[in-house]
Amino acid sequence: MARYFSVQHQPGFTAMAVICFVALYAPILILVVYAFNGGESIASWQGFSLRWFEKAWNNEQVIGASWRSVKIASAAAVLATIAATMAALATTRTKPYRGLTLKYAFINQPLMVPEIVTAVALLIFFSRIKVATGYSGLGYLIIAHTAFCIPFAYLPIRARLESMNLTLEQAAADLYATPWMTFRRITLPLLWPGILAGLMLAFVISLDDVVITNFVKSGGQDTLPTYMLGQLRRAITPEMNAISTVFLLLSVGIVTLFFFVSRKRD
Amino acid sequence: MNWKLTTTAMGLALLASTGLASAAGELNIYNWGNYTSPEMIKKFESENDVKVTITDYDSNDTALAKIRQGGHGFDMVVPSQNYMPIWIEEGLLLESRPDEMSNYKNVAKEWADPDFDKGRHYSVPWAQGTVGVVVNTDVYKGDINTWGIIFDTPDELKGKVNVVPEMTDVIDAAVLYNGGKKCTGDLEILKKVRDTLVKAKPNWVAMEYGTIEKMLAGDFSAGSDWNGSALRQRLQNPAIKYGYPKEGYVNWSDNLVVLKDAKNVDNAKLFQNFMMDPENAGMNSSFHRYANGIAGSDAFMPAEMKGAPEVEIPAEFLPNGVPSQTCPPEVQEHYTKIWTELQK
Repeated sequence: MARYFSVQHQPGFTAMAVICFVALYAPILILVVYAFNGGESIASWQGFSLRWFEKAWNNEQVIGASWRSVKIASAAAVLATIAATMAALATTRTKPYRGLTLKYAFINQPLMVPEIVTAVALLIFFSRIKVATGYSGLGYLIIAHTAFCIPFAYLPIRARLESMNLTLEQAAADLYATPWMTFRRITLPLLWPGILAGLMLAFVISLDDVVITNFVKSGGQDTLPTYMLGQLRRAITPEMNAISTVFLLLSVGIVTLFFFVSRKRD
Repeated sequence: MNWKLTTTAMGLALLASTGLASAAGELNIYNWGNYTSPEMIKKFESENDVKVTITDYDSNDTALAKIRQGGHGFDMVVPSQNYMPIWIEEGLLLESRPDEMSNYKNVAKEWADPDFDKGRHYSVPWAQGTVGVVVNTDVYKGDINTWGIIFDTPDELKGKVNVVPEMTDVIDAAVLYNGGKKCTGDLEILKKVRDTLVKAKPNWVAMEYGTIEKMLAGDFSAGSDWNGSALRQRLQNPAIKYGYPKEGYVNWSDNLVVLKDAKNVDNAKLFQNFMMDPENAGMNSSFHRYANGIAGSDAFMPAEMKGAPEVEIPAEFLPNGVPSQTCPPEVQEHYTKIWTELQK
């Protein structure tokens, strides 16, 4: 009997899949393994030890940068998700009209524009404001991160909205619920998994950012990624691996947490 | 509802991040990553009741780009000497006159009046180093103080040489090897440089950074390298030695300056003077592992650095040093062309 067409039975599929997985995960695996190296080296094994984790934990710059990263990412993710939810509602709960596609493009602009261009533009723009106002706090970084996190929050929320059935909302309206009540009692609970997914994505994207942060940061505003970049010029010790490992666990942890939260609600 | 909590928390976070620090004084230093001794900073903080903040950059260009735009909030930067003329000419620096400070007398005489900052009107030495060759002397017994290791590779080392792919460093070395002056525009010399490089390349096994591991593992037996890296290699394998090419080797340095738009000028000047104290400079060197241009600071360095030939240039090789500088644009263009050809 002839087999159904299946991509899994195409010649070379297995080999290709294996190559992709190895290329994606082997370097990360090696990085994690050497975080536990006892020696100074990041390439030759000299016994198991947790000393690099201890060293990183006692490194004030690392701890400071980590907290700052989390602070910025939390603020930016929440702001971006609020903006993205409103944008998603406005662009889906409406009849298609001329210019709607253009709006999509505007909202998703950070995905298209090369990051370095945004970074240089923000550097010049914010520098003027910093000179004029004298304020040089974390606000600039939060605004910048919010801006490029919006599309990452927007996409899952919009996808969720588009797949949601309109009948419940219409029924609520039929029963004289005000638009706000409909939103609070019907739309928002149904949309919640999408919002959480968006929030999680925005948080991780903000946490990872190097280029824009590096250009926008003022004195004392290193985030964990820009701190790590600064270390690369000199001899790298497994301390970098240890920091990366913790960072990785944090990212994976957040993603997993939100996955379970959003699945329960579904 | 969760929203209230979230909003409150966010508001608080924003507030906390914008509040002004309450220490008596502040100092904001913008420096290369992993380059500032935390113990030394603590000492400065407690002596002067100043809260020091360190922020990292990863290249001279990033630092320059940010400072040019203004509004950065930094007081001090540590540019490399070849960038110093740009910083001075563009008027980004404050003439803080380190040469009139009380600790200026400690600056080693070869660093007291450098070309990049005549009379030290702006800058204080932070760290300095050289670009030379490393050789595993178990493999090769001949003279290691020559660029010949790289460009006329001895048979024992063929296929075992690594060249660190810093364009300026590599071409400078080839220019010096051919008897030229750094940044020469002499086309005869540059032609010879190209031929030397093209002829030498088949004897190299790689052109990469991160030489330490592979030198120790024996994948490389020689290569161009920086002194700090060479020191780390010798400490783990005493056969690996650092050579100062007799044809000339480049001397680089990074120097601490005060910015014109600094907000904490007094603290910045205090810190410049503090850095010229041998004890503090030695403390910093123990951390970043380079020499520092302050006489007497080696007394405060760990044993393995004291008198190490990689850290302290031996007197016989001193005259062969060539200061690092940025070449004029037209020479830079020639360098780039040669480099491109070498990469083919």
